Amino acid sequence: MDCRDFREKHVAFVDDTLAGIELVGMQCHIAECECCASQDAKVRRALLLFRNLPSIELSAGFAARLDARLKETRQNDLSALPAQGFRRGAIAAAIASAVMIGYIGTNLYDADRTSHVLMAPVVASTPDHDLTPITTPSPAIVASVSAGFAIWPAALFAEQAPVHFAHSRPEPVNYTR
Amino acid sequence: MADLARKHVIPAIVPSVRERLQALDDSGVVTAFLGGEERAFAELVTRYQTRLLNFVYRTIGDREKAEDLVQEVFIRVYRHLHRFDRSKKFSTWVYTIASNLAKNELRNRSRNPLVLFQQVQKNWEDEDRPLQFEDPTSRPDDMYRKRHLREIVEETVAKLPEHHRNVFVLRELEGKSYEEIAEITECNLGTVKSRLNRARNSFAEIIAPYVD
Repeated sequence: MDCRDFREKHVAFVDDTLAGIELVGMQCHIAECECCASQDAKVRRALLLFRNLPSIELSAGFAARLDARLKETRQNDLSALPAQGFRRGAIAAAIASAVMIGYIGTNLYDADRTSHVLMAPVVASTPDHDLTPITTPSPAIVASVSAGFAIWPAALFAEQAPVHFAHSRPEPVNYTR
Repeated sequence: MADLARKHVIPAIVPSVRERLQALDDSGVVTAFLGGEERAFAELVTRYQTRLLNFVYRTIGDREKAEDLVQEVFIRVYRHLHRFDRSKKFSTWVYTIASNLAKNELRNRSRNPLVLFQQVQKNWEDEDRPLQFEDPTSRPDDMYRKRHLREIVEETVAKLPEHHRNVFVLRELEGKSYEEIAEITECNLGTVKSRLNRARNSFAEIIAPYVD
């Protein structure tokens, strides 16, 4: 062990918290190194002085003053309770009001917006050439055939359906009687 | 026959509340206080008041202020005991409060040197009073030497840097473990050991000329 190691472990050495091997190492070093032995003695002597300082005693009025302060604290805490409850209630009411106003405001704003909604126009264009008339049987019947028949007519009909709608004239229908 | 037997029954010695509280450890006393036993707080005060006074006094060096701070510690304990984590040691918590208050006091003093001057002046006046608490059977030169030495030791402690002094007092005066000191001062274990080592060496170095 060198002097540096000794200095690093000196706190634990003084407090007697070193492991057995380290303790022996420290003791051997003290026996060999006069400088470290002197420092060790100096620290121990100084600590002895400090530890033997007389204890400071409380002044006579300490307990009475503490009692008075504790009483005051209790009273303050008690008087603070209703105020605290009122404060909490006020905060809760303020939050609830803010939420309500926000909700009403949002609803009014949405109502204004829904009255001015613009929808995209529906556009259907007529093809340039004339389409061949559909000569196939009703597509519903063709589609209902389970197997063995071609389903192309139904597909063609479906493809041309928008064109037929474009040619047709809208007529007002009254569903109510 | 039964009446006769009843007459001769020796009354059982029922321990008073105070005695029962005295028999409890800190944790038990805290539990009793939180359970509504107000007298448990007085027991905590009795256990810690002198220890805390010595700790705070050695840290800040002003007796009157130290008493005020110890009172403040107990007021805070009273108000916040319900928040105390009972898995930890009560003494560590109390010392943490005291240490923080002492630190704040020193910080305030460094910001307001006038207050420090007034306090030091007041202490000088106190020191000028005749000896009252020394052992009257001692020889006057011994009394003087003891008192002089005590003053030197106290002055030497006061010369240590604040964070060294705190650790030093907690270890040497209060006998706290490194772990407890680390918790109280909110430092890691390595820092505590390093500060303690430096504080011890500085203290020994400053006081050596007076001791030899």
